Amino acid sequence: MIRSLTLNTRLFFRGAYLSYVALFAWLRPVTYLASKVVGPLMQILFFALLGSFATGADTIDFYVIGNAVHVVALSGVFGVSMSIGGDRWNGTLPYLFGTPANRLAIFVGRAIIHVLDGMVGVFLGLLWGVLLLGLDLMQTDPAALALTILVTSFSTAGLGLMLGALSLITVNVMFVNNFVYFALLIFSGTNIPIDRLPAWMQAVSSGLPLTRGLAAARAIIDGASLPAVSGLLVEELLIGLGYILIGYVFFRWFEIQAKRRGTLDLL
Amino acid sequence: MIRLRQLVRVALLSAEMGLRHAATDAFVIFAVFVQPLIIAVLGLFMLRERGGDYGMFVVVGSGLTGLWSSLLFVSGNAITTERWTGTLEVLVGMPTPLWVVVLGKNLAHVLQSLGSMVLAYVAASLLFGYPLTIAQPVPFLISLVFIVISFVCFGLLLSPLFIVNPDVQRFQNGLEYPIYILCGFLFPILLLPGWTNPVSYALSPYWAARALHAAAAGEATAASLALDWGLMLALGAAYIALSAFLFKRLLDKARRDATLGFQ
Repeated sequence: MIRSLTLNTRLFFRGAYLSYVALFAWLRPVTYLASKVVGPLMQILFFALLGSFATGADTIDFYVIGNAVHVVALSGVFGVSMSIGGDRWNGTLPYLFGTPANRLAIFVGRAIIHVLDGMVGVFLGLLWGVLLLGLDLMQTDPAALALTILVTSFSTAGLGLMLGALSLITVNVMFVNNFVYFALLIFSGTNIPIDRLPAWMQAVSSGLPLTRGLAAARAIIDGASLPAVSGLLVEELLIGLGYILIGYVFFRWFEIQAKRRGTLDLL
Repeated sequence: MIRLRQLVRVALLSAEMGLRHAATDAFVIFAVFVQPLIIAVLGLFMLRERGGDYGMFVVVGSGLTGLWSSLLFVSGNAITTERWTGTLEVLVGMPTPLWVVVLGKNLAHVLQSLGSMVLAYVAASLLFGYPLTIAQPVPFLISLVFIVISFVCFGLLLSPLFIVNPDVQRFQNGLEYPIYILCGFLFPILLLPGWTNPVSYALSPYWAARALHAAAAGEATAASLALDWGLMLALGAAYIALSAFLFKRLLDKARRDATLGFQ
C-alpha cells in the first residue's frame, strides 16, 4: 500500500510537471508575456476604464479586483483543458489509456501547476491594479487573500478539468473554452454585481467557480477577516471538487467507451 | 484594364473562398459573433447605470470589437494560414500578386464581421428591450463603407507584419483590448492619458468609432464626418504603402532564405 501511494504520488507530480512543460507555446518568454502578462493587463485596463465610465471613478476598484481575480480562468480553463486535450491532439492518449497508472493521479495532477500559475497571474493583476489604477491593499490580510486566490484558482481548475475531459470527444473545445472564459466575465461577478443580474443568471452564477472566491477576495481587500469569508471559501472549494468529480467521471467513461468500441485510435 | 479585371476577379474569388472557409470555422464564429455579443451584454449591463439611451452606443462599440477581432485574428493570419495549409508557395508562384489574394480575404472577413453589429443590435433590442434608432442613418451607412475600406487596408498591413516579425504575432492575444481602449469603442479616449492620443489618432478604428457613434447619436456634422472619412481614407492609404513595403520584404527574404513554407 505504501509502495502504491509512493508510485501514485510520484506519478501525480511528474505528470503535473510534464503536462505543463508540454505546453511549449506558453513557455516561450514572448508568448508567456503576451498571453499571461500583457493580455490580462489589457483586460483589467479595459474593464476598469469601462466600469469607471459606467458607474463612476470611485467604483474602479470593483472592476480592477474582479478582472484581476478573473485571470485565474486563463490558467484554470485554457491551461488545464489544453493539458488534458493535448494528449488527444498529440496522439498519446492511447498510450496513456494503455498504462495501468492511477487515473485520478494522472487527471488531477494535470491541474496542479496551472493552479499555481493562476495564482501568479492574479498576483500580477493585483500588482497592476496597485501600480496603475490606485488599488489600495492596505486593509488586506495577505494570508487570507493568498488562501482565497488558491481556493479560487483550484476551483476554476476543476472547471478546466471537466472541460478537458469534454475535449476528448469534441473538436470544438477552443470554442467552448473561449465561451466559458468570456461567460465568466458576465456570470461570476467580475464586472456586474451578482445582485444586478436577473434571477436565472444568478442561479447560473451560483453554480460556477470564481463567483464566491471573487466575493471573498473583494471582502478581504475591503478589510474582512478570514473567518468572515470562510463560508464562501468552503463553498468555492466544494464547487471545484464537484467539477473535478464530474470531469473525472467523464474521463473514465470516455476511456471505457473507447476501449469497448475499439475507438481509442480515433480519439 | 484587362489586367485590372483579372486582379478584381482573383480578389473576389479569394473573398468567396475566405467567406466559405470562415463560415464553418468555430474560432472565427466565436471571435466575430459570440465574443462581441458577450461584450455587448456586458456593456448593456454596465452602462445601464449611466442612464440615458446607451443601447445604440453599446451596439456600435461591441460591433466594432467584432470587426477588430476579425481583423486581428482572421485577416492577420491570412498569410500564416496559407503557410499552415501548404498553399503559400503556390500562391506566391502565381502571376497574381499575393496582396490581391490577401485583399480578397480581408474584404470577406470585414464584411462578415459587420454581422457582429447586427447581432449586438438584435441582443440589445430583444433581450434588453432598448428602443434602438440610428439618428442619422445615411451618414451611418456611408461611414460603414469607409470603415470597410479602411479596415481592409489595415488588414493588408497586419498579415505581412505577422510574418515578417513573428514576435509581433505572438502578441496577437494581447492586441485585442489595446485597440478597444485606444480607439474609444465603448468609452471616450478622454479617460486616457493625453500622451496616448497621438496613438489613437494614427489608428483608423478610432475615426471609425467616432463617425459611427456620432451618426448613431445624431451628433455628426458635415465637418466632423469629413474629418472622420478623410482620415480613414488617408490612414488606409498609409497602411497600403506600408504593407507594400512589408509584402516586398517578406517575399524577398523568403525567396532568398528559402523559408517560404517554413513554420
